[in-house]
Amino acid sequence: MRWFGALPLTVRVPAVVALLMIAVSVTVSEHVLSRLNETQERHLRALGGAYMDGLSSSLVPHVLRGDVWEVFDVLDRARDRYEALRPIETVVTGSDGRIVAATDPTKAPTLSPLPVEFSDRFSTSDIAIDSSEDRAYARRVLAHQGQTIGAIYAAFDISHLSAERADVMRTLLLSNGLLTLLLAGIGYFATRRMVMPMRILGEHLRNSLDSVPEPIPASKLPRPGSEARRLFDSFNTLVRAEREREDLTLKLAEEERLASLGRLASGMAHEINNPLGGLFNALDTIKRHGDTASVRETAVSLVERGLHGIRDVVAAALHTYRPDRSPRPFGPSDIEDLGLLIRPELRRRHLDLQWDNDLRDPVDVPNAPLRQAVLNLLLNACNAAPDNGTVGLRVVRSETGLTIEISDTGEGLPEDAIGILTDPAGPAPIGTGSGLGLWMVRRSVTEIGGTIDVDRSNLGGGLVRLRIPVQTFSLDHGVRTDDAA
Amino acid sequence: MPRSDTADKRAPHGDARISRRGLLTGVGIALIAGRRPVLAQTPIRFGLTPVFLNNDLELLSKLKAYLERATGYPVQLVTRRTYQEITSLLVSGQLEAAWICGYPYVQYRDQLSLVAVPVWHGKPLYQSYLIVKEDRLVNAAEDLRGDIHAFSDPNSNSGFLVTRALLADWGETPDSFFRTSIYTYGHRNVIRAVASGLADSGSVDGYVWEVVRDVEPELAGATRIVRRSEWLGFPPIATPARLAGAPEVRAIAQALAGMQGDPIGQDVLDMLRLDGFEATGPELFDPIAAMYDKIRSAG
Repeated sequence: MRWFGALPLTVRVPAVVALLMIAVSVTVSEHVLSRLNETQERHLRALGGAYMDGLSSSLVPHVLRGDVWEVFDVLDRARDRYEALRPIETVVTGSDGRIVAATDPTKAPTLSPLPVEFSDRFSTSDIAIDSSEDRAYARRVLAHQGQTIGAIYAAFDISHLSAERADVMRTLLLSNGLLTLLLAGIGYFATRRMVMPMRILGEHLRNSLDSVPEPIPASKLPRPGSEARRLFDSFNTLVRAEREREDLTLKLAEEERLASLGRLASGMAHEINNPLGGLFNALDTIKRHGDTASVRETAVSLVERGLHGIRDVVAAALHTYRPDRSPRPFGPSDIEDLGLLIRPELRRRHLDLQWDNDLRDPVDVPNAPLRQAVLNLLLNACNAAPDNGTVGLRVVRSETGLTIEISDTGEGLPEDAIGILTDPAGPAPIGTGSGLGLWMVRRSVTEIGGTIDVDRSNLGGGLVRLRIPVQTFSLDHGVRTDDAA
Repeated sequence: MPRSDTADKRAPHGDARISRRGLLTGVGIALIAGRRPVLAQTPIRFGLTPVFLNNDLELLSKLKAYLERATGYPVQLVTRRTYQEITSLLVSGQLEAAWICGYPYVQYRDQLSLVAVPVWHGKPLYQSYLIVKEDRLVNAAEDLRGDIHAFSDPNSNSGFLVTRALLADWGETPDSFFRTSIYTYGHRNVIRAVASGLADSGSVDGYVWEVVRDVEPELAGATRIVRRSEWLGFPPIATPARLAGAPEVRAIAQALAGMQGDPIGQDVLDMLRLDGFEATGPELFDPIAAMYDKIRSAG
């Protein structure tokens, strides 16, 4: 019956209704017919008894005298008087068992023995019903002063009784059939009407798997107060809550981004400030000893190198936090930028960096989300590593894509962090106080079709591995230039 | 027939006491008869044998009405199942007149007197038929040996005596010639018995058979005539010999003779398919008497 469960409700309910109706009508029909049968048989017995009573009272004197004609005359007249009973043939025998007279003397001639169709029938009862022939047979012994003087045998046509039964059967079949169809139809329409809200809800739920869940529009809402309406309202509330949550997540993520920007900015201020001291010294040297060519050249070259450093830092920051409108391919320069961006943090924590970059040419992956993801992971690793520890970055280019591993010498990633990183459908960790950055990482990686897994690094701490598929090499994209600054 | 019962009970006492029923009957008759006061007169008791369609109530009421008007007497029609009963009533003087059969007439010829004889097809004669079922392949009376044979009445000429005499000619009796014989006490019943197959053959009044063929063609049509007898005297209306010439008997004779000229009388004749009635001498029944003698000598 598994296939039955697979059928829609609008088919199943009418089918069950029809089955029940059929079961009911079979039972009812059987009862009706058997009752009808009993009633007919009772009537037949009563009528047959009346027929025999009437005949025997008028026949006894004639049979006693052996008056063939009078016996025949009585039978012949009785034939028209008992039309309701439809006697076909009546035979009267005398005490010797031979026929005195019959309604049809050609079939049962006077003085001949009783035909077998009568003689063989009455072993147990004085009435015998032969449904196959549509005939009933009755016998009545004629007695006078305690002596058996003969007997009456009668055959009745009961085809009208069978016809009546057939007629009742037909009527039952027809009316039950129509009723079944009607109820099944009502069942179909009623179920259709009832499951309509479920179908709407189902469609919305299915759609929400592929895209952002949409609330059910007001035009499709059932009338207020109904069960379906309450369900729809709950669904809509859920959808709205989910959307609010999504919005909130994005907002929080943005705040998180800005917060990390602030942290970076202070690092970068150091980065810019450090060369600034040297630059001012160089400027001072030029002011004072600018006449001396060798000194001046050395100082200018010093200033130039310092400004280059500042320019690189500023450019890297700009690329990260103000992504270009048209996505650029991810290239070696992006990795260099990342190194530049985390340098202040490394320095602040006295961390060592293991740098292993295999990427020589840009790959066809949008650079902004990947940069953001790797930067977040690197900053996370800096946080996780103890002072004087090590942070590792390894970029491997293979035939099918790009593998980026970020590792550290820390304690390894906590369980919930691993969950956030590896579950592509997991909700944003709102209210837990942490993990939002990791959730952003996963979102970015999922956006560009990549996967994340977490491992143990040979540095001792955690290792996060990003696998980014690269479909084709696109040589159209040139090497990134810094003109965007 | 309550009226005949009254007549039967009264007759043995021979008095003229008017019972309550008789009074009512008389009033009824007076109302029917109209102008002529008939209450005081002794009614004529007229017997009918089942010689013909005696179960036809319309015929009986018309015959009664006609006879009452034509004779001026109240008339009681008396019917019985057998010829024997009517003949006994007539011979014992309990009936003033009766339509009997030629056979009882010759049996009691010395005690009876003829009143009138019906005329059928212009003659006071009729025949006896031997009939079989229409589809039976026999053509002669000799072929009926071993039959179940239906007689009309043991005192009927056409329905018994003719066949009995024929068998006597062959040295047979009904018991020796037929397998068994049954009596139906009515010529029409003989036709029914043969038509239904209850009897293989039957002896029937030729006049009745012809009338039935006319009135119920499908009944008579189910039978076929195997033998017709010689022409014999039609069943007559007779009266006890001692009443011959009595006024009521003369009135009956006149009423019967005058039937043709009267509308109701003609209706009765039409229903009976008869031409009328005429007076004949007793010699008309000599051939029947001869047959009677023959079977008496045969035993």
